[in-house]
Amino acid sequence: MRPMLEARGLSYAYDGTEALRGVSAAFERAQLVALTGPNGSGKSTLLKMLARVLAPQIGEVIFDGRRLRDWPPKEYAKNAAYLPQDPDPTFPMRALDVVVSGRAPFLGRFAWESTADYDEASRALELCDAAHLADRYLDEMSGGERKRVFLARVLAAGPRVILLDEPLASLDVSHVQQFSALLRDIVDRTGATVLYATHDLNWAAAYSDRMLVMQRGSLIVDDVPAAVLQPERVRELFGFDADVIDANGRRWLVPRR
Amino acid sequence: MGTSRFLPAVAALSALLILSLLIAVAAGSTSVPLRAAIDGDATARAILFQLRVPRALLAALIGATLAVAGLTFQTLLRNPLADPFILGVSGGAACGAAIATALGLSRIPGLVPLVAFGGALAATGAVFLLARRREYTDPTRLLLSGLVLNAFFSAVILISFALSRQSDLTAALRWMMGTLFGASWSDVALLAVLLAAAMIVLAALANDLRMLAFGEDDAKSRGVDVERVKLIGFLTGSIITGAAVAVSGIIGFVGLLVPHLIRLIWRRDFRFLLPLCALGGGVLVVLADLVSRVVLASSELPIGAFTAVLGVPFFLSLLRRSR
Repeated sequence: MRPMLEARGLSYAYDGTEALRGVSAAFERAQLVALTGPNGSGKSTLLKMLARVLAPQIGEVIFDGRRLRDWPPKEYAKNAAYLPQDPDPTFPMRALDVVVSGRAPFLGRFAWESTADYDEASRALELCDAAHLADRYLDEMSGGERKRVFLARVLAAGPRVILLDEPLASLDVSHVQQFSALLRDIVDRTGATVLYATHDLNWAAAYSDRMLVMQRGSLIVDDVPAAVLQPERVRELFGFDADVIDANGRRWLVPRR
Repeated sequence: MGTSRFLPAVAALSALLILSLLIAVAAGSTSVPLRAAIDGDATARAILFQLRVPRALLAALIGATLAVAGLTFQTLLRNPLADPFILGVSGGAACGAAIATALGLSRIPGLVPLVAFGGALAATGAVFLLARRREYTDPTRLLLSGLVLNAFFSAVILISFALSRQSDLTAALRWMMGTLFGASWSDVALLAVLLAAAMIVLAALANDLRMLAFGEDDAKSRGVDVERVKLIGFLTGSIITGAAVAVSGIIGFVGLLVPHLIRLIWRRDFRFLLPLCALGGGVLVVLADLVSRVVLASSELPIGAFTAVLGVPFFLSLLRRSR
């Protein structure tokens, strides 16, 4: 089967500093993929390239059999939604308005959102356990509440490809669990491909189908979680000693003291 | 849903604008009985239709233009402090006018506004080029470039004034303080056409412009051609600011104040705010001009001061009440 989204030899340098060196990976539909690696290893740059925020200097992104630069921008935006690391509307905005703005690629030039768009937005808020926040303003919310509103904004477009830059950062642990389960559920129900950057190996291993590990701009591991979470591999990739616990076919990492 | 609170807001502000216009036409240092004008009294007609009506309309248009420009710049730069003045557009216009005055060109009618307009566009171009690196326009660099150019313009203005003839200086100073004295129907027509065109352009960009609020990366991922939107938006805002400044001199604060006032009442996105800012800016400047005309019947006080005198207390009271 042809992959939904494909990165082919992507390279990128900011002012001469290499951020991405020949990264290739293919993503099938209905996959939850965790992207990890130290700060500055190129996770955000890769996500931006897949989201069409940055154009690769070398290489090509292929979506649905077609090069990304051949897709009309708004058409691709109907299919792929991206959540930056620190989204922030400059001026105070109501949560429901924030979420409904996720429908923008579907709007005509002079059009306003319809009732159907607002229904879609309310449903997305509900999915993210944030329905009660609909009428509140973002500047009155905690970091975690805002994150949930922004995730709802991503879902409001009903995307086939979901690209999230550290969506779990600043969430409390019960929402980390809820979110991970939600992403899993979206993937299983809608067949979307979700790629999300995270530093939490355990949560990633517990919910994702696949883990990518990046280091200094290169993709060095692309494997199932159980294969990534092995003591010798963790030591080699992340530089600390750990034991692993197996439970119900999944792995949990426990650092040695 | 999107429009349910929009139309009442537009209706309310439109009513307020019409009311302010009526008061502005009715009030003045000479009392003009409306009856007399209707009965065909030539003097009363002249005062009404050659002086007060064009002046009130011009005030509304100037206010609308500056407020719309301010809103556009704030949205484009994602910065609540952005306005035509901080970006150097007005400074460029003033600088052009000051140089023209120093060269004695102010004695040729109609030339100073033209030079001022050229100055505004030149300043825009300079600020944009300074902020642009590798096909990317950095909002912070844009603001900084505007700030630094403003300092430069102030210096050139001072030098020009020092070199100007005393007799030319009075008019130049009056222009610098902002004035609607001598408003003509041709000014009204010019600004009305420009503002209408700008509003159409901005409305067509509105769906993209409001997405910029979430950051340029986010907007790009939603299929917005960010650089194109920035270029068109910035150019549109600058052209209308240049025209407004050329016609009426420097009327400060409207571009900064009005969008914030409107946002304190209606916290919505660009599409919603665009017409409301136009109407609100109109109300503020019509009232400010009215006050500047009637406070001292013998001489006109600078209208630019009154936009601040009227706007700031209102703004502060709203700010204190909002969280």
